[in-house]
Amino acid sequence: MEAIFGILISALLTQNFILVKFYGICPFMGVSKKIDTALGMGLAVTFVMALASAACYGINLILIALNLEYMQTVVFILAIASIVQVVEMFLKKSVPALYKALGVFLPLITTNCAVLGVVLVNVQQGYNFLLSTINGAAGGLGFTLAIVLFASIRERVNRSECPECFKGFPIALIAAGLLALSFMGFSGLSIF
Amino acid sequence: MNFKRQFREGLLTKNPVTVQLLGMCSTLAITTSLFNGIGMGLAVTAILTCSNILIAALRNFIPSQIRIAAYITIIAGFVTVVDLLLKAFIPALSQSLGVFIPLIVVNCIILGRAEGFASKNTVLASAVDGICQGIGYTLALVIMCVIRELLGSGTFGGGLLNGGEGIRLIPSQFPAMQMVMPVGGFLTLGFVIAGSQWLMKHLDIKNKKKEAAK
Amino acid sequence: MKTETTAKYVLRLALTLLIITSVVAVALAGVNAITAPKIAQLNAEKTQQAIEAVLPGGFDTEITDFTDDTGLVSKVYAGENGYAFEVTPSGFDNTITMMVGVDLEGKVLGISIVSHTETSGLGAVAAASTAAGEAFRGQFVGKSGSVSVTKDGGDVDALTGATITSRAVCSGVNAALACAGNLG
Repeated sequence: MEAIFGILISALLTQNFILVKFYGICPFMGVSKKIDTALGMGLAVTFVMALASAACYGINLILIALNLEYMQTVVFILAIASIVQVVEMFLKKSVPALYKALGVFLPLITTNCAVLGVVLVNVQQGYNFLLSTINGAAGGLGFTLAIVLFASIRERVNRSECPECFKGFPIALIAAGLLALSFMGFSGLSIF
Repeated sequence: MNFKRQFREGLLTKNPVTVQLLGMCSTLAITTSLFNGIGMGLAVTAILTCSNILIAALRNFIPSQIRIAAYITIIAGFVTVVDLLLKAFIPALSQSLGVFIPLIVVNCIILGRAEGFASKNTVLASAVDGICQGIGYTLALVIMCVIRELLGSGTFGGGLLNGGEGIRLIPSQFPAMQMVMPVGGFLTLGFVIAGSQWLMKHLDIKNKKKEAAK
Repeated sequence: MKTETTAKYVLRLALTLLIITSVVAVALAGVNAITAPKIAQLNAEKTQQAIEAVLPGGFDTEITDFTDDTGLVSKVYAGENGYAFEVTPSGFDNTITMMVGVDLEGKVLGISIVSHTETSGLGAVAAASTAAGEAFRGQFVGKSGSVSVTKDGGDVDALTGATITSRAVCSGVNAALACAGNLG
């Protein structure tokens, strides 16, 4: 129980996937212009991360049994790509409303390094099935938290005045830096 | 095919980091010492060039529906090769970059160039593109590293010079260690991109003046 | 292309992917065959060096039936001058693997860090072979019972900007000391 709580706190706040560990920066900068799309992306990523963590735990056992650990990266990324594809097909058929809302973002999740990152970290840390899945889901929620917070800041940043050469990405990155600074305040929580 | 133009594009006008905004995860995460920056830059350049060449060579054989899956498999293969080679021959670098080596697979620079360039161009042009974009990426990383290392740890060339300690330029009680923390990564990248935007605008104005003078 | 949306076409897609995947797999198997022994050798050397650094005289046997209440001790090596414990506390980012040498009287002989992913320039100093790194690790020599950083009321000076790493190293040393106590 303590371990689960520790993972939750650390993935959400102290070791936030984006703001502390730098996984998944591309979608973080790319789809954070509006709060609702950011939320959609966050939830989709959370779902895929939890699913991928669970699936890759099993796949890793097979790889170890076959003595093929060096194939991890290749097999994991293919597994993630297939999971994203399956999720896309499933949503298209059974929950078309959600599919429409997530539409463009779904294929992008494959190249989100938060997904491959969490899977590799799970393997490195030797988490069991339950902890891997929880770490995946919690990491995804941490991603959602960061991207939604950032989107709300960015909506305002984009409307304010700043020097010409800082317009667009540079000022957004600086805003992200300040957000990361505030998340550093949580590092005191890592006694868990 | 224009080598000079491709080189210029890779370095400045279409720099993968400052203009195309690709591969930012590794740019932000590992740029804390010069050793990391150069090592990561060279690893990505090698992988990018190899995957560009192979994908350009296979561009007519791979059906378009499965191209992304095929590209990812090829890229993941090269990344694993580099990962294994580093572990065996340069363990210090492999240790220092950690999980960010396997994460090169999802570095958008490589897939981006595969999809955007190598799948439409000849093998030679793609190879040149890989090298130029790789150099541009390395350059951006090195600039980030130098700034963050100087302000954050007060040294230059950490992991490389002076027996790994780097050359101390600022006494150890002064540096702002936040610069080697995540905050510093975001801030530095913001300023570097702003700087490159300013530089490009400046060059643009200069070029226009030149043309007007003609 | 339009008329090709049949089973034959799907088969062609699957075959192309299959071929690419198998070529990649074969290539990787080749590279792995070259690098695997080298990597294994490097790891073994690293462990050996780490043990020798913390346990003068090296080790004779590996002890497998040790009692460890902390869950941090992964391996115990015994030599004529004491024990070397491989401990794995969690650092700032990931697990730190370190070696702690403890003499027969339960005093720390020395510590060395085998692998870690701490922040370069901050936590990573704990493992660096620099003056600052040596000074940090030197503090633990001769300690017994339990150790903690000054912030937590102990007498270990934490590394600048890396309290979490310093705490992790302390917890690793404590685990080794406790385990040594159990060994008698």
